[in-house]
Amino acid sequence: MHQTLLTFAIIGYVAATGLALAYLVQREEVLHRLASLATLAAWVLHTIALLALAIDLGRPPLANLPDAVSVAVWVVVLLEMWLERRYGLSVLGAFVLPVALVFSLQSMPTRPLIGPALSGAWLWVHIGLALVGIAAFVLNFAGAVMYLLQEHQLKAKQRPGALYYTLPALATLDRLTYRTLALGFPFLTTGLILGVLWAGTAWGSVFTFDPLAFSSFVAWAVYAATLAGRAAGGWHGRRAAYFAIVGFAALVLTLGAGLFLPGKHGS
Amino acid sequence: MPLFVAGLSHRNAPVELREQLAVDEDKLRELLRDIAGMGILREALILSTCNRVEVYAVADVPGEARTATFRQLCRHRGVEPASVEAVLYTHAEGDAVRHAFRVASSLDSMMIGEPQILGQVKDAFALAQSCETVGPALHTLFTQAFAVAKKVRTETEIARHAVSVSFAAVELAKKIFAGLDGKAVLLVGAGKMSELAARHLIEQGAFPLYVANRTWARAQELARALSGTAVPFDELTTALAAVDIVITSTGAPAPVITRETVDRVLPARRGRPLFFIDIAVPRDVEEAVDMLDGVYRYDIDDLKQVVDANIRERGREAHRAEALVEREVAKFVTRLGDVEVIPTIVSLRERLEAIRAGEVKRTLTRLPDVTPATREAIEALSTAIVNKILHAPITKLRESSRAGSPRSWLELVHELFGLGRNP
Repeated sequence: MHQTLLTFAIIGYVAATGLALAYLVQREEVLHRLASLATLAAWVLHTIALLALAIDLGRPPLANLPDAVSVAVWVVVLLEMWLERRYGLSVLGAFVLPVALVFSLQSMPTRPLIGPALSGAWLWVHIGLALVGIAAFVLNFAGAVMYLLQEHQLKAKQRPGALYYTLPALATLDRLTYRTLALGFPFLTTGLILGVLWAGTAWGSVFTFDPLAFSSFVAWAVYAATLAGRAAGGWHGRRAAYFAIVGFAALVLTLGAGLFLPGKHGS
Repeated sequence: MPLFVAGLSHRNAPVELREQLAVDEDKLRELLRDIAGMGILREALILSTCNRVEVYAVADVPGEARTATFRQLCRHRGVEPASVEAVLYTHAEGDAVRHAFRVASSLDSMMIGEPQILGQVKDAFALAQSCETVGPALHTLFTQAFAVAKKVRTETEIARHAVSVSFAAVELAKKIFAGLDGKAVLLVGAGKMSELAARHLIEQGAFPLYVANRTWARAQELARALSGTAVPFDELTTALAAVDIVITSTGAPAPVITRETVDRVLPARRGRPLFFIDIAVPRDVEEAVDMLDGVYRYDIDDLKQVVDANIRERGREAHRAEALVEREVAKFVTRLGDVEVIPTIVSLRERLEAIRAGEVKRTLTRLPDVTPATREAIEALSTAIVNKILHAPITKLRESSRAGSPRSWLELVHELFGLGRNP
């Protein structure tokens, strides 16, 4: 049941991604409207699929990585739809949906993210918070990419291309990356702290090496540095955008580690 | 409705002829009265701008009306009619509607999307109204043309992008800062174009404005004119640290603002972007400034390139606007045609309904003991017959009006069904 719904949701996301990318190039308003519609429809299907899965399992669908990533994608799309309206960023979908799509296409054989030894309510909180943080950072990444593209358009001063017209102002994009960073960081931080506390009790030591935990700390450090640089050092624009991309790369590594590398998270 | 437009424009007539024919407001009143006085035109409106002279009119014999009108116009302006006749274009009916819509929407303008033409058409309309040469046909036509023009402006981006250097600078500033509210501007040197750009920025909310000039008196004068503050020329560096947008247009032979100067003020700016609009030739801002992070420098050639791209962008949007206009023309012509045949359709229906009702009544009085069921059946039967008979003529009338030639059909229907004369 939930698998069928999810497949339809993914088909919807594929359509929405295609339409959003077409809008970026063609700039026909009707494409944007269709993309928004497809996004909303796919997201509603996705919501039902996740609910069906949760009811099936009798617990939040966060225990294995594919499910957890699916939840993250759900949050990403929700944020995308909200920010698009909030900032009037009609091109946001073209940058966020491809990332969301790649994430939702991962259909690895289900390997438990958490070993049977680990469970309990605040474990769900640990995973849930971390995923909301990751979702915010997907948007942070999209904002940074858009910033760099628009900055390049303005700096290179060749004949302005389609992106010059469709992408919003640098200040708007900079604000978007800052806001998403400020939104994602507390979630990621709290999620990680809970994880550390848990590790202390469940694995017996806080300092056990685990690839997923390690790379998520790397990502956290990058984001912490960016936030500090922004708040205290007056970082703006390009530098902040580069850091957003590096931080996101670390997050992708985290997920990759969770999927492919053996570690404490799986045992 | 025998509507037509005749005239000449930048598309086919040389500027010498256009300027000879262009009519000012007072003369226009006189001319409108004269051509209305000829008795050939039922309605008339004259649009006279530096790019076009056109007569929109309703006349029973359009060809004759056109010739007479332009003779009159040539007589007023002392132009040889033959030279005008040669370049005159005429559009009738649906084509005239399309032309009116395209002109009002600025699709027929020299610079597509320029905003003045709509105001000019509105003025021409008001003038014709005050001369009482506007009747129902032109009134509907132009009211709709204004609505279409507005729709084109809001639904396409035909007028969105700047096509002048000074507006292109404003547009770029918006691409960098989003809103210009509270962005500080520094004007270095003086010049028409830089002053214009500064004014545009202020209109968009930029504030405060500083003026620096090698001549202190000139700086003060310009600062007064733009309600800004004069700053001494040797304090340029200090000012650079504080402002967001710098417009330069000095006559200096070498750059006034070097990379080194800008590099020095950057730390104090804490990452806030700095935008140089360099209108001077030779340029005032060193090209190497481009290398600095968060600093944007556009010289006159860069700005022109943006303008070029914007013009192409307008062309692109014009295609969408044309499609929109085309749809509006179709809608309008249909509506207009229906308006013309509707009175006839109504009286035709009334006529047959009166016959039906009368006959049914007579029959029913002759039949005693009619059950309600029978009465209902008779009513239904007669109504069905009337509707079936009406179907073909009504369809034909609607079709003929859409094809633009309902006149003979209207007359025929009036004649056949005895609806009285004068359809």
